[in-house]
Amino acid sequence: MDPLFTWIETSALSIWLRESPSLLVFPFMLILHTVGLAFFVGANVAWNLRVLGLVPRVPFGPLQRYFLVMWIGFWTNAVSGVALLIAYPTKAFTNPLFYAKLVLIAVGIAVALRVRRDVLDAVAGKGDALPARVRMLAAASLACWVAVIFAGRFLAYTCTRLTVETTC
Amino acid sequence: MLDEVLRSVQVYLYYSPQGEYLREARWAWPIFESLHFLGMSVLLGTVGVFDLRLLGFARWIPIAALHRLIPLGVSAFVLNAVTGFCFLSATPDQYLLNRAFLWKLTFMLVAGVNVLVFYARVFRRLLETEPGAAPPLAARLAGGVSLCAWIGVMSAGRLLTFFRP
Repeated sequence: MDPLFTWIETSALSIWLRESPSLLVFPFMLILHTVGLAFFVGANVAWNLRVLGLVPRVPFGPLQRYFLVMWIGFWTNAVSGVALLIAYPTKAFTNPLFYAKLVLIAVGIAVALRVRRDVLDAVAGKGDALPARVRMLAAASLACWVAVIFAGRFLAYTCTRLTVETTC
Repeated sequence: MLDEVLRSVQVYLYYSPQGEYLREARWAWPIFESLHFLGMSVLLGTVGVFDLRLLGFARWIPIAALHRLIPLGVSAFVLNAVTGFCFLSATPDQYLLNRAFLWKLTFMLVAGVNVLVFYARVFRRLLETEPGAAPPLAARLAGGVSLCAWIGVMSAGRLLTFFRP
């Protein structure tokens, strides 16, 4: 894979993302990735907490609108994440934890959508009584986001190569 | 005089048990960082979600019902204050002499004053508004200031590494 990494790392875009002294380039991508995470996970945390019964009188219908916030956070992080990848492809792609993080995000989104569908089905059917299985799924969803956050944070401490030429 | 105080605070924190633990235990730093990010996400998932409602988003949710998220948001803030204090203790000079840290504290102060004003002047009146009604201007202001302040806290926090002395 090194030729591919070298090709990316020597591209003008990668060099600019990595070496620009402006706070509006690399640091700003990190800020977007952090703020995006908070909104992405945060919006889903609120939904799961409702499912788990922490805020019982919040109606699911209007609460659904926060999925819009979740998706805005998701796309913010998809874009800023790709920018960070273009800046340091070797760093991420040579770290097994990076692939674990991607899988965890995919599982997390699948579980979140499943929880949403099950809740709306249950609410439409018989009032506010949620089956225990949905609450289990909401707890699993929360656990997934905890794992994603840990995986993301640990990336910085488990990388072996920073670029094709340099070690971490 | 001020330099001496700062210096002794640095020394005191650096040799504190939590400072030494965080510097020396193998995975302590990334674990504490992960907890800090988790607390941040829960804070946005509670206080941030409430702020958006104050701004008029999802206005069919009754304010009083959604407000029950706030105690968990306070717990998340406490988690982050504790983990944050541990980072500060481990490498005090990296924070106390760092402009981004000053901004981060300033944004937290703004959020704190905003909370006090909100509960003193806005909250009780707000509870009487019907779901679906446009929130009063004061509520929108409080929500907007809070959301901007927390985005500022996160941004300044992320910039810490770029302003290390």
